[in-house]
Amino acid sequence: MSQQNDLPPGWIAQWDPTHQRHLFIETTSGHQQWEHPLETAGGPLDATVAPAPAPSGHGKRRAYAVGQTHAYDGAGEVAPYPDAAGYGAPVQPGMGGAPAPLFTPGLANDQFAAQQQAAQGQGYYGGSEQYPAQQPAYGQQQPMQYPPVNQLADQFGHMGLGGQKPFALHTANLVATPPNPLELLMPPPEIRLPPGASITDSPAANADPSYMRSTINVVPTTYQLLNKSKLPFSLVLTPHRTLKSAVNSSVDDPPVPVVTDTVIARCRRCRSYINPYVTFIDGGQRWKCCLCSMSNEVPQMFDWDQARNQPGDRWSRPELTSGAVEFVAPTEYMVRPPQPLVYVFLIDVSHAAVQSGMVATATRTILESLDRIPNDDNRTRISLIAFDTALYFFSLTPGSTETSMLVVSDIDDVFLPKPNDQLVLNLTESRAAVETLLGRLQEMFQDTQIIGSALGPALQAGFQLASTTGGKLITLSASLPTLGVGALKNREDPKILGTPKESALLQAGSPFYKTFAIECSRAQVSVDMFLFAATYTDVASLSCLPHYTSGQTFFYPGFNAARSEDAIKFAHEFGIVLGSQIGLEAVIRVRASRGIHMSAFHGNFFVRSTDLLALPAVPPDQNYVIEISLEETLTTPFVVFQTAVLHTTCFGERRIRVITLALPTTSNISELYASVDQIAVATFLANKAVERTQANKLEDARDMVQKYVTDILGAYKSNMTGGGGAAAAGLAIPTNMQMFPLLALGLLKHVALRQSSQIAPDLRAYAHSLLTTLPSQTLIPYLHPSFYSLHDMPPECGTIGDAGVILPPLLPLTSERLVKHGLFVIEDGQTIFLWVGRDSVPQLIMDVFNLPNYEALRGGKYTLPILDNPFSQRVNAIIGKIREMRRGPYYPALFIVKEDGEPPMRLWALSALIQDRGDQTPSYQQWLGQLKDKLNGSSYN
Amino acid sequence: MNGEAWLFIFAVLAAAALIFTSVFFIVSYSDLETDYINPIDLCNRLNAFVIPEHGLHAFLCLLFLLGFQWTCIVINAPLLAFNVNKIITNNWAHDATEIFRTLGGHKKESFIKLAFYLMCFFYYLYRMIVALIKDDV
Repeated sequence: MSQQNDLPPGWIAQWDPTHQRHLFIETTSGHQQWEHPLETAGGPLDATVAPAPAPSGHGKRRAYAVGQTHAYDGAGEVAPYPDAAGYGAPVQPGMGGAPAPLFTPGLANDQFAAQQQAAQGQGYYGGSEQYPAQQPAYGQQQPMQYPPVNQLADQFGHMGLGGQKPFALHTANLVATPPNPLELLMPPPEIRLPPGASITDSPAANADPSYMRSTINVVPTTYQLLNKSKLPFSLVLTPHRTLKSAVNSSVDDPPVPVVTDTVIARCRRCRSYINPYVTFIDGGQRWKCCLCSMSNEVPQMFDWDQARNQPGDRWSRPELTSGAVEFVAPTEYMVRPPQPLVYVFLIDVSHAAVQSGMVATATRTILESLDRIPNDDNRTRISLIAFDTALYFFSLTPGSTETSMLVVSDIDDVFLPKPNDQLVLNLTESRAAVETLLGRLQEMFQDTQIIGSALGPALQAGFQLASTTGGKLITLSASLPTLGVGALKNREDPKILGTPKESALLQAGSPFYKTFAIECSRAQVSVDMFLFAATYTDVASLSCLPHYTSGQTFFYPGFNAARSEDAIKFAHEFGIVLGSQIGLEAVIRVRASRGIHMSAFHGNFFVRSTDLLALPAVPPDQNYVIEISLEETLTTPFVVFQTAVLHTTCFGERRIRVITLALPTTSNISELYASVDQIAVATFLANKAVERTQANKLEDARDMVQKYVTDILGAYKSNMTGGGGAAAAGLAIPTNMQMFPLLALGLLKHVALRQSSQIAPDLRAYAHSLLTTLPSQTLIPYLHPSFYSLHDMPPECGTIGDAGVILPPLLPLTSERLVKHGLFVIEDGQTIFLWVGRDSVPQLIMDVFNLPNYEALRGGKYTLPILDNPFSQRVNAIIGKIREMRRGPYYPALFIVKEDGEPPMRLWALSALIQDRGDQTPSYQQWLGQLKDKLNGSSYN
Repeated sequence: MNGEAWLFIFAVLAAAALIFTSVFFIVSYSDLETDYINPIDLCNRLNAFVIPEHGLHAFLCLLFLLGFQWTCIVINAPLLAFNVNKIITNNWAHDATEIFRTLGGHKKESFIKLAFYLMCFFYYLYRMIVALIKDDV
């Protein structure tokens, strides 16, 4: 056994049959761990994988700044394509330039390059999903997760740092440090729990940050301390995130382990679920709840392996080893037996809808997706209602292809023309009839001249069909609802855009959409909205329904299926929504240690009681933000947050998904700052800003964002730097928050909040709905777009690496980086802009677009041809990668932007470069200047 | 008994009714906080009382106007304006989707109204007694 031989003195390896891996034991101290001792600490590998010690971390940042400055002052003039000799050396440290100062010596260059690729390739925190097993992949950025503290202290001791301070806080000067987009890809600050906090010492005891993360990874013991730091405290949850498989990362996302034996140990008092942070007492007969310290009995069957009918090993139970776990729930957790999945399609068949090709595209997509609609147990039911100024029901006969259409033109008092069970049919049994109907729907209405939409009555009819079982109303609407309940007026008035009155347009125009949403939520009906509009459709009002019924809103402005890009985008997103494995009849409750209180909730759901969120359906990759307040002084060394999602899976099983997160507590303000997760803070701020917009005005939301940034900077200055001295010359911020001001600026400049009289309220409202639902991984690029240069990218970019397609290095978001002969990609996860410089060489245009020269190229939506040359294939691979690397159903459309093309298109693309000065918005440097003036001039002195 | 006495007898009764509704609102809000009632039922229940409450208060003000009770009108004018503004901007109903966010504001409003109605109650009571004594003399 090689494991034995490689061990340092004093260690033995013991094979653990239940875990199928070695357990390493230090014979002198009796300490046990799963990781190989050489990989965690001490030993010859120390230099490469040791947790980044403070000085080296500091050096790294400084070195980065140097690299950046070089790039800024153009130390490396980039060579034009196709001469690839001089690509991007100064642009990305570590890629081709001088990587030595950036990381600990001893790590081979190629290894580092692989890390970089891994870090980039996996998008947001793809990389962190594999830690800590894949420790070296983040060796630099992510210090060790679970080394026992004594070892850590040892190491620090060797480095002459002392082992007392667990968190090293570094201050950066914002003014002197250009923002580095790579930092957005880093994992959140490490959670350093006291030793022995988790009973199993499992690396997965804390859930992956993509399930649940906190804005601060250390909890202040008192409310006063939190208040003093001005930091927001909230949880960012995506309990049902999709597992991105091998397509994107070299390592598969581990699925959530499932406890199938229905032995669910819960605390008698606080009702929390057993988790890796409880303690066993009385010889393992009882367990002590980590949230409320209640002593509970261990269930009898807890140590019994029901599958094999023999005593099992308690320590291998997933709920004690994993922070994310799913229990199969017995009947006590059901109000009624799991209901079949019911999809009711409400399709607009008015003139506008048919003409735009929406009906044809939608029916074709449904037809193609029939096999992917979750239907494992053959219980899924489906129904279809078409509507214009009247409602058209379709009665299908199972087993035949016969369909009959029933027209209901009385839309004031909606009734069903036939009993429910003849209109809602089992998908498996009436497959043939459904296919025929979908195939013929377009034909039936193709010559319609009817203008007007009775969306409200159609929703009511759909509700009647689905109300007994619950289900999903998938609504496709191409015009403003004009008839019956829920009729909306065209509120858009160009004169009031950009004025305080604009805010009214972002609130619901008719109370129907709220009251109906409540009815739906009660009956476990969820509404998805797909809106296609040539003109104003009042997204603000219509998106209320998905908002309160936990559905999703999709908006396709100016949809025209004749343009293949539009059709593909919609078909792709619609197909994914139809095929997604949704949860049903869900409730979410977040529990936390005593003294911690959930105070406000953001996201798509209905708040049913002070801390219970009701979700008729749980689509994957939805984000929820929960604000937390501290009500008592915390006395424990760590606190635990537990999210429980009780839901019915789409194959009819009642389950509880439990996500547990333990965070250490502190009374030290510098630890608080050192543990800030800037990604989570930005996610929180986006949600909070949207809430403020809907309750008050756009200006209030902008002021609030600004206030958060100044408050945090001001508090940091007065608490940590003494308010004066050298720091007064710049803007001090913890290094782990360096990107936060830029993210906040991105939010202020975002189409959702920007001060402008040009932004259509529909676009704003849609941006609001995205900001409150996107998971962090997708939200951050939406605020801070990614910017790549293609004409001079390193040769390996666009080829397949260890972690899928290798993306070019990220550039800072400033137009200084745009060159006349260049080809650039700017993408925010919703749109991809391909920027073509005016002096692009014909060869480049030929290779990418198959056109003779720049003049022949036209701006606008575009489908990139795949040509028979390596450059075209690499560009296509990069675009393809951008389209699929993030969570969520979105399929960004590609736009060609010519440097001298139509101004609106150009300005739109340039507005993504958020470090530049905008129309009425400051550049990043100007903004920092404003912040600095504010801090120096105000009471923070 | 003269008109003034009758007016204040009615005013006392009305103030008592208004006090009762305020208390009812406050109790309902705390029910919501402690989970005895769900937000949908709460809003349906309370919304049924908002218009009658505002109506009763407005009617009382009208009677004061007809009875030329200027002091009373001045006392009640701010609340009347506040209520009328809520009705005009269509902002009076409790919204179940927002209730947890606005709960603090609603509670504060109810407490202030309760205090105001209590004060009014004693003032009307005093005026009623004064009117009745004057009647007797």
